[in-house]
Amino acid sequence: MNATRRWCGLLATSVACLLVAACSNNPYPSEEQNEKIQYAAFSEAPRTLDPATAYTTSAHVITANVYDTLLEYHYLNRPYELIPGLAEALPEVEQLLDGRTVFTFRLRDGIMFQRDASFSLNDNDTDSRKVTAHDFAFQFARLADPAVNSPVFENFASITGFRAFRDLISERRQADEAFAALRIDQQYEALGGVPGIIVLNELELEIVLDQQDLQMLYWFAIPFTTPVPWEAVVYWDGEEGRERFADHPVGTGPYTLSVYDKQFRYVLERNPMWYGAMYPEWQAPGAVFPTDITQEDVEARRVNPEYAGRALPFLDRIEYRRERESIPHFNKLLQGYYDSGGVINESFDAVIDGDRLSPAMVEMGMALDQVVSPSVFYIGFNMDDPTIGRTAGEPGRLLRQAMSLVVDVEQYLEIFSNGRGVPAQSPIPPGLFGYDDAYSNTFRQVDIDRAKDLMVQAGFPGGTDPATNEPLKLTFDTGNTTAQAQLRYKYFVTAWRRLGIDVEIAATTYNKFQEKVRTGAYQIFQWGWVADYPDPENFLFLLESGSARSATGGPNTANFSNPDYDALFAQMSDRPSDDERLRLINEMIALLERERPWIELYHLEDYILRHEWVLNAKPMGLSYPVYKYRDIDAELRSESRETWNQPVRWPLYAIILLMVAATVPAIRTLYRERQ
Amino acid sequence: MVWLPNMIVVALLAGAFILFRTVRRNRFWTESIARLWRRRRFSLIIIGLYLAVALLDTISWVGGSASENASDVVAAHKPRSVIDRIFQPDSFMEISYSEPFADVGFYGEQPLAHPGKHILGTDILGQDVFYRSLKGVKIALLIGGLTTLIVIPIALIFGLAAGYFGGRVDDVVFFVMSTLASIPNLLLLIALIIVLGTGPVQVCVALGVTGWVGFCRLTRGETLKLREADYVQAAKALGASHLRIITRHIIPNLAHLIVITFALQFTGLVLAETVLAYLGIGLDGSWGQMIDQARNELSRSPVIWWNLAGATVLLFTLVLCVNLCADALRDILDPRTRKEAQ
Repeated sequence: MNATRRWCGLLATSVACLLVAACSNNPYPSEEQNEKIQYAAFSEAPRTLDPATAYTTSAHVITANVYDTLLEYHYLNRPYELIPGLAEALPEVEQLLDGRTVFTFRLRDGIMFQRDASFSLNDNDTDSRKVTAHDFAFQFARLADPAVNSPVFENFASITGFRAFRDLISERRQADEAFAALRIDQQYEALGGVPGIIVLNELELEIVLDQQDLQMLYWFAIPFTTPVPWEAVVYWDGEEGRERFADHPVGTGPYTLSVYDKQFRYVLERNPMWYGAMYPEWQAPGAVFPTDITQEDVEARRVNPEYAGRALPFLDRIEYRRERESIPHFNKLLQGYYDSGGVINESFDAVIDGDRLSPAMVEMGMALDQVVSPSVFYIGFNMDDPTIGRTAGEPGRLLRQAMSLVVDVEQYLEIFSNGRGVPAQSPIPPGLFGYDDAYSNTFRQVDIDRAKDLMVQAGFPGGTDPATNEPLKLTFDTGNTTAQAQLRYKYFVTAWRRLGIDVEIAATTYNKFQEKVRTGAYQIFQWGWVADYPDPENFLFLLESGSARSATGGPNTANFSNPDYDALFAQMSDRPSDDERLRLINEMIALLERERPWIELYHLEDYILRHEWVLNAKPMGLSYPVYKYRDIDAELRSESRETWNQPVRWPLYAIILLMVAATVPAIRTLYRERQ
Repeated sequence: MVWLPNMIVVALLAGAFILFRTVRRNRFWTESIARLWRRRRFSLIIIGLYLAVALLDTISWVGGSASENASDVVAAHKPRSVIDRIFQPDSFMEISYSEPFADVGFYGEQPLAHPGKHILGTDILGQDVFYRSLKGVKIALLIGGLTTLIVIPIALIFGLAAGYFGGRVDDVVFFVMSTLASIPNLLLLIALIIVLGTGPVQVCVALGVTGWVGFCRLTRGETLKLREADYVQAAKALGASHLRIITRHIIPNLAHLIVITFALQFTGLVLAETVLAYLGIGLDGSWGQMIDQARNELSRSPVIWWNLAGATVLLFTLVLCVNLCADALRDILDPRTRKEAQ
């Protein structure tokens, strides 16, 4: 009996050892190893995928690939260049004598929506249908609909009758219950849609603006203006076990969302109904790889010239997995289980050697892309505040100037981001029209003596508030309570304490912070902006009084209101990018330099690491990743993963040995005692 | 309010003196303390050092000479404690990280302003880690001490009432205890701190509100037992009032429980603050906050260990010493173990 037990024990131990030894750290099924799948990670789940409301980078990862747009950006050319997407060509632009602008688009004939159950709502029992101009008009009506609550309503307010449509539909819903009970597309139809969106025929669409607004063109390259089938909005209503439309995108793009477990994993798969796949003979600009490839991109291994003119897309699947912590994410990237990713602060010195990749990374075949994204991060002052804002007059301005002079952003970037980022001198980031590399903001150069002089002129000598005879007290409001964020805020607070200003960090929950912003109960805050489209107007509008948070709920959180600035903005915003526009921009920047509603901090600089097997991965810079141009050398990836992830078994054997060594004396003692 | 911390110190010292005198008159307590000293001398010395640091960090006043190259103008207008005056944190700092006793910065190798003087190096903002760790002592003792002072009276009143009077009072107290015990502690804590705010007193109140149930249950059980004791029945027969019976006959017999609970609760609360800090709702300057700020630093290459080590070692030492003393106290004060020892 004892012998049998011993043999059973030995067998069980051996099986367990074999099972453990056979384990691999590969998180993916082995049958996928030679497929063209891109593996990526996400940290925050998107709140919505509705193209009328999705406005975050985490959502754009999906919406930019599922929803096609009338126009899109050329993949390789910089400065950014618009090319036709769903439209046959760039729109005809007509300036009317009364100041209105008309864009006329002609759609490609034969574009289909992806297959989806919602199309069964149509009379003909089908799982897809052709895209028409009505689908665009439907989406524009959704953008104006107060029930949808699109965050970009104001950006489309220049469309004729856009605002009036919102008011009208709101009134009708309140006054007429029968109208409110109608299907959403029928409601829009009953009101005649947005007056400025004119469907000329199934394939032609006219968009009329009340004023000249050339920046509107960029909005036609953003999923907000994608065609949306009314069937999907009606069918995916969250009732009777159906998903909500916000979680079930139905578009015309090169990929469809096949798995959406938003807390853990989502998967994009090739869309067989995409126009590029259905009609390769069209050779549409958005459906073939560009042929105008530069030598610079080839040398930097960003683009493979062999792909020129080939039909898109190349990847069969894009798989996203949630990684809440950056360190495991980065480790999996180094193990080859993610194809590309950023460089984390913790490993920066192991990865980057000076301005280049470290020899270890080069040996792994890694490539590094350094991209300054069109963004700006800043500290803002609430200009409605009586101490530090507009009403404080000249002392308030001098105080803001002094505070700006002591914030050393180069040192800040060095400490917190390993020097990644471009110190900002104005709101306009590099690469955009109006950015001047030689421009140096006199209040963004650290000069403590000058700052102290300004404090004296402002009436706060040594930071002392004459009203209390104590250090001037201000509040830095934030909705981020993490310890890491507190360190960053503390850096600024320490800088201001050099002037004798006692700034208290008021860290609350994000909702409380939003409440403070809504009620105007804040003095100093830190914020950032990433461009919707590559034009200086998209940054300078952040300080225009029409976008003031207190008055309109817009993105001008500093509540900066200056008639001169507004007049210059009005002239600049609808001009083509010529010398006169540059002059206007420079005047606006000079005004901001003097008024200091912001302390400009930095423009974000991304360091993107990618493996050798990732092909055609030129970074877009904008927050809309386009995967249809990318490819993967799956064989090389599979080989590399195998080489890099050989199991290290000796610790296991050492532990087993140790356990045996520790157990044997105990067993011997037990036997001895029993005898 | 500059005087408030100093008044607290005076009150604490006065309280300690009164306690000392009371204890000296009582033979049982004198002997117990003597036995504790014999068994846990080293731990008691360490706890004494912590108390001294906390007192030195509480005694503060405005004015006095700030260092000449001080960059923090505001600090000169604020009350600074003895510890602040010893370390002069506004000038005794670097640009960013530096290793313990280093002469140059951790990144870039720029010469330090105070080469070789930072015992535990400096953190990301160039602050001396040893100074920051010492500043955490006061917060830890405040959290542990003040919260325990909130917990024990609540638990004692409810436990005594429920155990002594029984009936409806017991039903109500038990219902409240059961309700509180059925709410996940951490969630309740977070909710309370969000409502009350994240100041030291608010955190102590939140920890106190969520932490009294265990001791209350214990007190109730002991009281249920004690109220049936012969001497309590005798007191009742002689017409003693409820208050007299509770204060003269029951509470003295619960004293050992109170002392032991104080010690055990104390360490639990100090550790609880660390968890809260990790969730972003701890106290500014606490060890928990230091550990949270440094959690990714161990993954850095090269590794930055001193920031985490400073807070962790001080936290560990305090918790270990208090636990050792509590363990010894339980042996000394518990009537059963006392009897066995005799």
